[in-house]
Amino acid sequence: MARAVPADPHDGEAVAKRIENRWALTMVGLVALLVAMVIFTGLHWATMPPSRVETINPSTLHVSGEFVESNLGSAVETDGSVTVRIVGQQYSFTPQCIVVPSRTPVTFRVTSADVIHGMLITGTNINSMVSPGYISTFKTRFEKPGDHLMPCHEFCGTGHEGMWANVKVVEPDAFARLVGPTRRASCDL
Amino acid sequence: MSGPLLRNRWFVGSVGGTFLLLVFSVFVGFVWLPSAQDDSLFKGLLNSICSAAGVPRSWLGEASAPVTSPVKVSEVVMTPTTLDEPSSGGGVGRGATLALRCTMCHGLRGVSTSQTPTLAGQYASSLYKELRDFQSGARASAVMAPLVAELHDQDLRDLSAYYASLPRQQSPATQDLQSAPDIVATGAPMRNIPPCGSCHGRLTAKLGVPWLDPQPRDYLKTQLEAFAHGTRRNDTSAQMRNIARNMTTEEIDASVDYYSGTR
Repeated sequence: MARAVPADPHDGEAVAKRIENRWALTMVGLVALLVAMVIFTGLHWATMPPSRVETINPSTLHVSGEFVESNLGSAVETDGSVTVRIVGQQYSFTPQCIVVPSRTPVTFRVTSADVIHGMLITGTNINSMVSPGYISTFKTRFEKPGDHLMPCHEFCGTGHEGMWANVKVVEPDAFARLVGPTRRASCDL
Repeated sequence: MSGPLLRNRWFVGSVGGTFLLLVFSVFVGFVWLPSAQDDSLFKGLLNSICSAAGVPRSWLGEASAPVTSPVKVSEVVMTPTTLDEPSSGGGVGRGATLALRCTMCHGLRGVSTSQTPTLAGQYASSLYKELRDFQSGARASAVMAPLVAELHDQDLRDLSAYYASLPRQQSPATQDLQSAPDIVATGAPMRNIPPCGSCHGRLTAKLGVPWLDPQPRDYLKTQLEAFAHGTRRNDTSAQMRNIARNMTTEEIDASVDYYSGTR
């Protein structure tokens, strides 16, 4: 098209080219900024950027394996870290009160026995879907003792609003006193 | 066609740049960010690509073996198709014959006149689950245990089908949810209590959970308190204990009154 235009006293082609160049640079800059943000947050902020996909039969959680009732809650591993196992179901989390030590590596393992639930822990960046058939695994660390709420954040049915749990972060020595002979702990009544 | 296009530097620059961005993004998403995680399953090129792409793997690593329960818990696996299998020559009729042993307590047609639960019109899934739990000892009862000890799985299925087929008795008071107390209709979300009706009928139902009205008042109250105190533990993954232990005495009474029709 541009070639068909006769000689232009205002030098339109050069003006258009300059503007195109500026826009191209702006767009490249925007894309570069967005990609850099993804990389920075992925490296420094998010607890779980890539998915850790693992499957499980949701109908037999209570029969065998790591999600049987007696194995839920916080488990102390030989390396001193803590594994927390939680089952979400209509309409509660089990255990209903989760206790973890501060300044200790904690691995969460969460799954659902029926429909899609979600969980987040207030005041932290822990936030995950809890899907039937899949185990959500993520690692974290609580720096300060304190109480947090852990609501289900995915509408799971008519009792959804009543589904939440408590997370109590306590000092490591207080946690050690809560751990029983089976090396499991929860603060359920 | 390709000649003039490739000579156009805007075309080469934009398409080529987009392609390079794609290659770089794939590297970021499948290699760089996964490799920054400290799981061993993200280490190495193939590992990080597979894990980031969502290949199912075992993420726990080394962990202590599961702790098994010192007490008997329910091992009944309930799915929507659990009771679907064609009963081999059984069903409602066979269940009715087997039910002769139940009539002394649960009434001639499943309607109890004492403090035992009414079974007429109960969900088959709930009946089957409780029968299995009585048999395994997950739900303790000195009366029920010997009565179900000798029954086969097919017997339990037929009994459940029979009682589910009988007409449900409904007390007028519980016909509509308008008259229901708060604990039944809305629960107490601030204290971790979903409404009774969200699992036990009227609002919605949940597989393996019983329909509650009308049931004898004493029976309901005894069971609710047993859940609250943890003396009854055959609710799968503590789903009922979690709720009952948060209920106040007034809420227990209100729900029991509603579901019993104050019988």
